[in-house]
Amino acid sequence: MGFVRFVFFGYLGLTVIYWLINIYSRSVRLERLENEWAEGHPDDEGSDARQSFLDDGMAAYHASFRPKLIGLVYIIPTILVIVALVVRNSN
Amino acid sequence: MDTVKRVFRIIIFVILALFFSYVLPQHDVVRVTSTEIIRQDFSSVNRIFYAQADSGNVENPTRDIRLINTVKRKTFLLGFIPREAEKVMVYRNEDTGWIWPPYFKFDSSDLQAQAASIASKGDGNNWAIMTHYGWRNRFFTIFPNAVGLKPIDGPDVKIIPWFNIFFFAFLIIGWLFLRALWRQFRQRSIDPVIEDASETWELLDDKADEAKGRFMGWFKRK
Repeated sequence: MGFVRFVFFGYLGLTVIYWLINIYSRSVRLERLENEWAEGHPDDEGSDARQSFLDDGMAAYHASFRPKLIGLVYIIPTILVIVALVVRNSN
Repeated sequence: MDTVKRVFRIIIFVILALFFSYVLPQHDVVRVTSTEIIRQDFSSVNRIFYAQADSGNVENPTRDIRLINTVKRKTFLLGFIPREAEKVMVYRNEDTGWIWPPYFKFDSSDLQAQAASIASKGDGNNWAIMTHYGWRNRFFTIFPNAVGLKPIDGPDVKIIPWFNIFFFAFLIIGWLFLRALWRQFRQRSIDPVIEDASETWELLDDKADEAKGRFMGWFKRK
């Protein structure tokens, strides 16, 4: 029972962290794309061309390997717990 | 206002410091002298300072507790400055299993056997490094929980708290990330809304001034 509770709340907490990092990473990427566009087109703040540039950039980001690295948020703590379990209880 | 803020911050800091001093592992240089088992009748005051019955067993209001009796080297500054002076120290030895704090300790019986084996070597050969968390308090009868025992040749050892170093480094990284997250959120989601609101407010303000001018105008006409 204790094990079930630990796993449930542990992964619940990790899911919250996963989403925070996910949102932050997307926001930073979008800001960079906006700045990139503003450098080339200083006066353009709301055209369709700008929007499609941003959409393409975000699509490329989602297809890349980087967002998948955020999955390490689940993998690293799991490995650490297993290592701690083995080290602590081996004689 | 500043005083309120300062007091609030000091309270938060003290709570965090107490929390970490209870939960994080510390290392003592000890002479293991004996092991024993006592029955412990918990009260509602000291129950939270004990862990749980051995993993796999049922939890009863009263149970036996393993204790490890030692003589430990005194230190200054939470173990950073070793001293020659000694005092007795009693550790409890309980499974933490899957509950808080997350030491994942299931091997209390083995640890007790190890303590007994070190104690049996006799005076002068029974030095060990005791890893533990928790506090000793005589008024509530609480003991620090032993989580690891490593035999050593003599009391002159250099202990580097690797876990705590990595823990606090990670804590700082986590704090910096949360700050960056909050700044990004404020800059991209809150500030534009406030800017919008303040523009609307200025517009309203102008209209109000206009109306006030007209209202005052009535009196001037007289």
